Amino acid sequence: MKIFVTGIGVVSAIGMNVEEALLSLRSQKTGISKGTQPFSERFMVGEIPYSNAELMEKFKLKDFSSRTALLGKIAAKEAFTNHTLHTQIRTGIISGTSVGGMDVSEIEYKKFLKDGTDSLDAYSHHSSGTTTQQIADELGITEYINTISTACSSAVNAIMLGARMLQSGQLDRVLVGGTDALSSFTISGFRSLMIFDENWCKPFDEERKGLNLGEGAGFLVLETEQSISKSGIKPLAILSGWSNASDAYHQTASSPEAIGATRSMKEALSVAKLSPSDIGYINAHGTATPNNDLSESVGIKNIFGTNIPPFSSTKSYTGHTLAASGGIEAVFSILALHHGMLLPNLNFKNSISETGLTPIKEYSEGNNIHHILSNSFGFGGNNSTIILSKV
Amino acid sequence: MYFIQHIESISCQNTFGRTNFWNELKPLDSQCALLSPDYKNYIAPNTLRRLSTILRIGITCAKACSENINKDFDAISVGTSLGCLTDTEKFLVTINTVSGDILSPTAFIQSTHNTIAGQISLELKNHSYNMTHTQNCLSFETALLDGMLCIDEGKNNVLVGAADESISFMERLRGNLIDTPLPFTTLGTFFVMSNQPTNQSKVALLKSSVFFNKPEAETIENFIVNHTVDAVIETGDRFLKLSSNHSNVLLYSGYNQSASAFAFHLAVDRLTYDGNLSTILVINNLDKGKLGLTLLQKHVS
Repeated sequence: MKIFVTGIGVVSAIGMNVEEALLSLRSQKTGISKGTQPFSERFMVGEIPYSNAELMEKFKLKDFSSRTALLGKIAAKEAFTNHTLHTQIRTGIISGTSVGGMDVSEIEYKKFLKDGTDSLDAYSHHSSGTTTQQIADELGITEYINTISTACSSAVNAIMLGARMLQSGQLDRVLVGGTDALSSFTISGFRSLMIFDENWCKPFDEERKGLNLGEGAGFLVLETEQSISKSGIKPLAILSGWSNASDAYHQTASSPEAIGATRSMKEALSVAKLSPSDIGYINAHGTATPNNDLSESVGIKNIFGTNIPPFSSTKSYTGHTLAASGGIEAVFSILALHHGMLLPNLNFKNSISETGLTPIKEYSEGNNIHHILSNSFGFGGNNSTIILSKV
Repeated sequence: MYFIQHIESISCQNTFGRTNFWNELKPLDSQCALLSPDYKNYIAPNTLRRLSTILRIGITCAKACSENINKDFDAISVGTSLGCLTDTEKFLVTINTVSGDILSPTAFIQSTHNTIAGQISLELKNHSYNMTHTQNCLSFETALLDGMLCIDEGKNNVLVGAADESISFMERLRGNLIDTPLPFTTLGTFFVMSNQPTNQSKVALLKSSVFFNKPEAETIENFIVNHTVDAVIETGDRFLKLSSNHSNVLLYSGYNQSASAFAFHLAVDRLTYDGNLSTILVINNLDKGKLGLTLLQKHVS
C-alpha cells in the first residue's frame, strides 16, 4: 500500500511557514544568530523571533500552552490546511518531542526552589503526552493520539509509526512530525556535554566543533490511497521507506563503525525497494558534532560505497531542533523533491580528513531528484531513516 | 493472537521473579516501599551506581525476560508517562544551583524518556527497533500496540513494557493535578510476546485498543462483544457492575500512570494459575476521557 504525503507544515528559525522556509533555503540564509532570551543569549541558536504571546496573536491560538505545544499547533495547522475532519476518514496524530512542556515547568520549578511561589496549575502542561493532546485538541483529532520520545529521532519515528498504522488499516490519515522549543533545560544540558559551537556550526567540516541548538516544529499529513479518493487532496510526495535500528554502543556517542546508522539506512532502502543508486539527495542528520558527522559519514560510505549522492545537513540553517528535526527536515526534503533542489551545507570549508567526503556547497534547483533519504539519530543510539519519493 | 512468553514486574508487591502471586496481594498502605531485587545480579556495579530507580527496573526486568527466553528481541517498545523524573529533577536543581560552566551531564543524559529503552538495548547489545511511547496514562497501551504491530509485520520475541517513577515533589500536586488518596509509587512491568505459542506461554493477548473522548460504557461494551469476560481488572472501580470478579489494580500498585501494565501482569498471572478463569478484561481509565482496553485469554497449547 502506497503512503502519500498530502500536507506539510513547518515553523523554524528560517520561517514561520513553508513559503518563508523555501525563500530562506533558496537564498541560503541561515536563521542561526545570538539568542535573545536570558537562557540563550550566550549562545548561537536557531530561535524563532516571536514571544509566546506574539505567536498566539499571529496564529490566532486561544488556549495557553507551552511553547513546544504552540509551535506544534502552528506547524500541524499548516499541514492540515486543506484537510477537513470526516467520519469516514479515521485520523490520528503522532508527534515527537523531547522538551514537552518543560519550557513552562522549568520556570515554575525555579520559583519552587526559590520561595515556593510556583503555580501548580502550570505543571499541567509539563508532560510530553499533553503537548500532543493540545495539538490534537486544536485540530479536533480524536481517533488516535500518541507521542514518541526518542530524543533527536522522535519526529522520524513518529512518521514511521504513522505509516505503519496506515498500512495495518488502523488509521486512514495521520498527522506526523515533531516539535521542540528552546529551553534552559536543554541548553544547559547540551552545555554540560560540551558539544556547542560558539560560532555557526560547521556540519561535515574538518574544523567542526559542535552544534547550535534550534527550535521549531515540522509536520506531514500521511494518507492512504483510499483516503485520498475520499478527501480529494493532491499528494505532494510518497513516503516510500522507513526504518529504526539501535546502535547499542554508548549513551550518547555513535559507534565508529556506524552500526545503527548503517542498519537504518539499509533497511529503509529495503522497505522502499530501492538501491542506493536511486537516491538523488541525502538530508543528513549532520549536527556538526565531531562524533556524529564522522559516524554518519562512515554509515553513508558503508551504504553508498564510492557512489555517494549529493548530501548536506540543513542544521546550519535551522540549528538542531532536537525532536522536531526529522519533521522539519522531511518538509525541506519534500520541497527539494518538488523543485529539484540540492540544499547547500552552509559553513563548509574542508572535508573530514578520515572520510574525505564533500557535501553540497552551492545551492541549485531543477535537478532530477526522484528519491531523498533523510536521517535522524537520537541519543541512546536511536537511529532512524525515512525515504521520500516523487509522486 | 500474541503469546506471552515471560513477564516480570518490580513493584511494591513481592512480584519480581515470582509467579502465582495474585492471591497473596494485599492493598498497599501509605508507608509502602518498592520491593527491589538485588540489582547487582543484573547490572555491573560501575553502571548501577549512576542509574536511577526507573532505569534499574527497566534493565533488570528486560534482562530477566531475555535470560528466560534465551533469544534476542526483534523489537523493544516501552511506554512511560512522566519518564525519568528523578534525573529530570536532579538536573533542574543542578542548573538552578550550580554556578559556573561545569555541569555534570549524567542527570541530563538520563533524564530523557527513551533512556529506559535505550539502556536496555545497550545492556543487551540489541540492534533492533527501539521505541519509547509517552501518552500520559495510555503510554503502556500505545507501547503495546506498537509491539503488536511489530509482530503483525513478522517480528518475533518482542519486548514490551512500561514504567513510571514517583518523586516526593508529586505530593505537592496531590489534590490539585493528581486527585487520589493512594500512595504515589514507582513500578515497571516488562514482558516478551511471540507470534506463536511456546512451551512457556500460557496466556494469549487477544486485542488491545485506545480510545479518546469516547463514551466509556458503550465503548467497553462494544470491545467485549462476542467474548465472555470472567474477570475485570480496572484502574479504579467505575465498572464494578461488569463482573462479580472485579479488582481495582490501584489498590495493589498504588497510584502510578503505568498501573495498567501491572494490571496486565496480574491478568497474566491469574489466567495462568487460577483454574476458574478463561478471559480477563483490563480497563485503563486513569486519565479522564481516555480509555485503554485489553483482553487476555488463557491459552495452553
